[in-house]
Amino acid sequence: MRVSFVSQSSQCQEMAGVGFQRWVRTLSKGKISGISGLLPACRSASGVSKDMLPGKYNIRVEDYKPIADNGEGYGDYPQLPDRSQQDRDPAYQWDHPDLRRNWNEPMHWDFDMFIRNRVDTSPTVVPWSTMCKQLFGFVGFMLFMFYLGDKFPAYQPVGPKQFPYNNLHLERGGSPDVEPEEVKNYEI
Amino acid sequence: MGAHLSRRYITERDTEPDPAKKYDFDPLYGFPERKEREMVATQEQMNLARLPLEQRDYCAHYLLKVMKCKRDNWPNLLACSHEKHDWDYCQHEDYVMRMKEYERERRLQLRKKRIEGQAEAA
Repeated sequence: MRVSFVSQSSQCQEMAGVGFQRWVRTLSKGKISGISGLLPACRSASGVSKDMLPGKYNIRVEDYKPIADNGEGYGDYPQLPDRSQQDRDPAYQWDHPDLRRNWNEPMHWDFDMFIRNRVDTSPTVVPWSTMCKQLFGFVGFMLFMFYLGDKFPAYQPVGPKQFPYNNLHLERGGSPDVEPEEVKNYEI
Repeated sequence: MGAHLSRRYITERDTEPDPAKKYDFDPLYGFPERKEREMVATQEQMNLARLPLEQRDYCAHYLLKVMKCKRDNWPNLLACSHEKHDWDYCQHEDYVMRMKEYERERRLQLRKKRIEGQAEAA
């Protein structure tokens, strides 16, 4: 198993070398961008043998599923479930309790995204649909009430406040050259 | 409380005064004579005291006295309670006048509607 692993990796380097030449050629011809054409060469050449995988990624053969090849060079790295570390059992005696991880455990390709102070995939207290209903129900209710308060404002039953000097014509920025409309306020 | 709102929006929608509209009855109507409101503080005094616009009302001279008293008696602010009370009372009277103006407008609207109704019936 060990031998086959080594041979595979050397094969990979070989293919990478071939790919590099291809890449240079592609660049010189000015065709498609080279990197996506380069990297899958390693993958396709690896010809995953079921026997050597458990030792390589520390994963059971029946659990192994490679990441879909979209030309970004994932190689034969296994597709692990998208679950955050926060989602794991906090009571279990992990080798590394802070990361909630055991030594030699296969690592997710985006492990740094799923550490405990980043993305959390643990289930929410109430379902998503309930949260949506509560949020939009509340927001909608408040919007409706604001609309109602706008259409039917509440006010004190008093007349407008009266101000002297022609309703503060000058103080409110009126021009001294313009003769303001005369405002007379009376006692009652 | 709120009776004017139920009149405005439910029972007397055509006669209850709308604060957004100008009161259009003659202020002298129904009075043999009516005293005009007297402004004591001058514009220059209010400018010098830097009063905000909403306080340049018919009680401004009381406010000026409060401010002067506070300045002269600092830090004993309790010394100005009489001046403060005078100002508050003036503001209260001002508010009561506004309430009366509202009620006058409301009753004149009702009266106008009543007279129009009688004219139509006759």
